Amino acid sequence: MPSRRSAFLWLVRKEWRELVVSRSWWVLLLAIGPLVGVTFISAVRTYAEASGFGGTSAGVGEAFSPLIGIWAPTFSACEVAAVFLLPFVAIRQIAGDRQSGALKIELQHPMPAIARIGAKALVLLAAWGIASLAPAAAVVLWKSYGGSIYAPELATVALGHLLNAGLTIALAAATAAVTEHPSTAAILTLSVTVGTWILNFIAAVQGGIWERAAGYTPPAMVAGFQHGLIRLDVVLVTLVFVAAGFTLAAVWLRLGVGVRRRAYESVALGAVTAAIVSACSLATGSWDTSESRINSFSEADEEALERIQSPLSVEVHLAPEDPRRADLDHKAIAKLRRVLPKVQVRYVSATSIGLFEQTSPHYGEIWYEIAGRREMTRATTAESALQTIYQLSGVAPPVENDDATFRGHPLAVPPKGAAAVFYGIWPALVVAGAVFMHRRQT
Amino acid sequence: MFEARNLTKRYGRLTALTDVSFSVRSGEVLGLIGPNGSGKTTLFECLGGVLPLDGGAVVRDGRPLTDRERAATVFYLPDAIAPWPAQSVRWAIDYTLGLFNGRADLRDEVIRRLDIQPFLDQAIGSLSKGQRKRALLAIGLLMPHPVLMADEPFDGLDLRQSRDVAQTLRSFASAGRTMFLSIHQIKDASRVCDRFVLLSGGRARGEGTIRELAALAASQPGAPAADDDLEEVFLALT
Repeated sequence: MPSRRSAFLWLVRKEWRELVVSRSWWVLLLAIGPLVGVTFISAVRTYAEASGFGGTSAGVGEAFSPLIGIWAPTFSACEVAAVFLLPFVAIRQIAGDRQSGALKIELQHPMPAIARIGAKALVLLAAWGIASLAPAAAVVLWKSYGGSIYAPELATVALGHLLNAGLTIALAAATAAVTEHPSTAAILTLSVTVGTWILNFIAAVQGGIWERAAGYTPPAMVAGFQHGLIRLDVVLVTLVFVAAGFTLAAVWLRLGVGVRRRAYESVALGAVTAAIVSACSLATGSWDTSESRINSFSEADEEALERIQSPLSVEVHLAPEDPRRADLDHKAIAKLRRVLPKVQVRYVSATSIGLFEQTSPHYGEIWYEIAGRREMTRATTAESALQTIYQLSGVAPPVENDDATFRGHPLAVPPKGAAAVFYGIWPALVVAGAVFMHRRQT
Repeated sequence: MFEARNLTKRYGRLTALTDVSFSVRSGEVLGLIGPNGSGKTTLFECLGGVLPLDGGAVVRDGRPLTDRERAATVFYLPDAIAPWPAQSVRWAIDYTLGLFNGRADLRDEVIRRLDIQPFLDQAIGSLSKGQRKRALLAIGLLMPHPVLMADEPFDGLDLRQSRDVAQTLRSFASAGRTMFLSIHQIKDASRVCDRFVLLSGGRARGEGTIRELAALAASQPGAPAADDDLEEVFLALT
């Protein structure tokens, strides 16, 4: 029999050939250019206006960061493509062999099923890499305008979308392998996506465990990366889900194994995945790669907070849908969690919207407690939280340092040439590529 | 080569194969014959590892074969498939040769004997049924497995093509390759096969040469005398 390595390489080559004759992939490529174009052009215009272009007051956009002003909206086009286009490419790649009967031939090679799926996954990730040339073109254009690029934050955004693509591919692979027909797989994949949206909605209303679970859905995961934040627990949980998706696909691609046995193996896989995900969710490491330190307190504040040894408890009397709670979470709690691993936060509310709790005497109170000392404030700003914590802990607040403040990179230029690139050159290249590859193969 | 012992396959409440037993001998052309719905394809898919068996075993030298051993022994060529429809026949042959480390030394001979050259660069999805059948047979013949199981190898072929394919299959058997062919056209089967397994209603009704099967038919109580005509033998035994 052939060596596994050479057989695997044959399989990878075959998957690549199958990909380049797949219309769904060319449609993805064709669509992602204009999608990125729309978001990039719009973002650059807004950024320019805020920076004083076209008669608006200069200085409004002084604190503008390209991460939030340009990369988050531009790369959001990748999220749209990952949700609505990439699943069909992946499903076609996985289910096509079953539909054509090729799987019956290939399955007779004693290669492990996970290797078969691995070959498909490699090619699909390469396909996503090629699709990512569209946002890469946006980066080149931005640089040509004289825009500032801070590599760590840009790499973080790209990593988030790569993980999201991996998650989408793994999910599509699993549904394509489990179901008999690609259309069923497509419905199932979109149902899971809609399910994560519902989970996010429930989390926004209910809070608690739902909120924690929703933190690992693709939209929440991508949002974190788009803010330049790499959370170890999110990365690990995503990788576990990706591995579980591909393993489930491998389990169900083994047609020669009884359905009952495959079902038992799937249940066992689900249990193992749940256990590993639970363990990974306890990881607390995180890295703020944003140039503006948008996810962190100032370095001086962080050094001061690290001197606090006692655990910090926070009791928040705000409903899940109260905007003040989201404000507090983003501006203070999330940053505190990154510096103080022993932060315990308890949310207290009788309703989900809080509208009818406003007259309640304690509603809106935020209690901080360190070493038995408690202090209440109603302000949701980072400054208020820090001031209260310094008072309670007895740690002297750092001296304010204006030099450390992020000043932003305003840029008042129009998106010159972007329309030609994304609406003209990109589609033309994709069409030419599709025709060339089709002629080359047949 | 191997023995199939008491092979049983169920689809829910429907039993497709019931205690099917027979033997496959080295270098022979064995025909699996039976009417539509008799379980021929199910039997092949079970032996090819594409479907799981619910009972029975494939045995060699008195020992059940492991999945890996079975996969190294038997190559199953399914009927009615159009694998890699956008790829050319040339690529499909080279791909399967590479994937399975097949008989590259026989490539040109197989292409010539099955008359594949005229459509070697056509996409598989664009081929006629007969062309596709010949392309897939080429793939099967080039595989390194000692046993080739082909489901309906003459389906879609015209008279001349059927005759040429039968000659090719026989010549490969003469060279030591074992052929196990599922054929529903009994005339085709009688032209190419050395021995037969008769399958009807998911049960093996007989196994042997035409003479052995005729003798078996004649021994059935109340059965009309069946001469060496396979059709008559088949009707008498099923």
